[in-house]
Amino acid sequence: MPPLIRPLRPLLQKRLPLATVLRASISSSGQLRTHASVNDEPGSEAWSQQPVTLEAATPQTITPETITTPSANPEDEIERVIQESLPKTGGARMPRSLAALYLKPLRRQAEYGVPSCDLQLRSYTLRNLEFFCDFALRAAYYLGLPAYGPVPLPRMTERWTVPRSSFIYKKSQENFERITLRRLIQIRDGHPDTVQVWLAFLQKHAYYGIGMKANVWEFSKLGVGKAMDESVKEVEGLLKDKWEHLGEKPRPENDTVEKIQEFLDKERIRLSHGR
Amino acid sequence: MSMFRAKKLDLGCFVNIKTIRDHSKRKAFEAFETQRQALRYVIRNQTLPARTRAEAQLQLTQMHCYTRPTQIRNRCILGGKGRGVLRDFKMTRYNFRMQALDGNLPGVKKASW
Repeated sequence: MPPLIRPLRPLLQKRLPLATVLRASISSSGQLRTHASVNDEPGSEAWSQQPVTLEAATPQTITPETITTPSANPEDEIERVIQESLPKTGGARMPRSLAALYLKPLRRQAEYGVPSCDLQLRSYTLRNLEFFCDFALRAAYYLGLPAYGPVPLPRMTERWTVPRSSFIYKKSQENFERITLRRLIQIRDGHPDTVQVWLAFLQKHAYYGIGMKANVWEFSKLGVGKAMDESVKEVEGLLKDKWEHLGEKPRPENDTVEKIQEFLDKERIRLSHGR
Repeated sequence: MSMFRAKKLDLGCFVNIKTIRDHSKRKAFEAFETQRQALRYVIRNQTLPARTRAEAQLQLTQMHCYTRPTQIRNRCILGGKGRGVLRDFKMTRYNFRMQALDGNLPGVKKASW
């Protein structure tokens, strides 16, 4: 049994009462389309064709071989976790999406491998970072995005050396450092809108102490320049009130010599009044 | 100079006449930056008549010294000191050490290698 995630532990140790005990006998004719079963791979069909019988008295069927040998198919892995949890939960069948939490995040395969988004996550604590990378990968899977990573990027180490007390005791100094850990998650073949949804979801559920930075690439038809020129007009209207927040003020137009002369005259008057 | 100073205190850090002065210098520089840049542009633009450029030079020299970027000096936000300020934390070295040892600076730890 893999180490349990903390919120699930009381449930699996039967410390929480279960509302209903599920006794399900699902045949191939029934619709079983949980999140985890949504998979375009051919292996998933093979899984759904075999009838799944879930009874309370299944622990005898589990042999040590099935527990120790991990199979290549993620679907089988999920099923194995479900089967293992059965005796502990008193016959209640764990939902497959829940069972998938105990395993590595599922992934989708990219068809073309064209990168569409690079998400860089930064943190000072490894634990939070790994957790959020895992979360991001799972979110990408359920949104149908092929995600690759997390790639550990080089750590950024900053160091400061300061004297411990006043300057005459320069010989006694102290070193401090701050190590920024970085992970890269790449989305390939993602639709730009879906990538935006993914990024928005991650931002909504942003974890404490983790910074995110995303480079997004979009591909469009030929004649991009003309399309961009047209879109600039719309964007300018949208950005007008945003610039004010950035401290940008409308500038005097100094384009021509006459304007500059006018500006200088105004400036002269202003300065002489100021003195 | 008091003409650049805000009527109401607009500083959140350690308050001191030196920090207030530095803050008003920063604000003055921000307010006059475009004018300063315009004059600098006129001075350096060789297509303009020499008289205009000379006038611009004079006007630039007559602008108030608070509008110069060189007047700005980083000061400690906890003690107002002007020397030994770490740019990353806006603190003097001793305040930085105290804060780092207290664990108030995220990610900063004692290093040994």
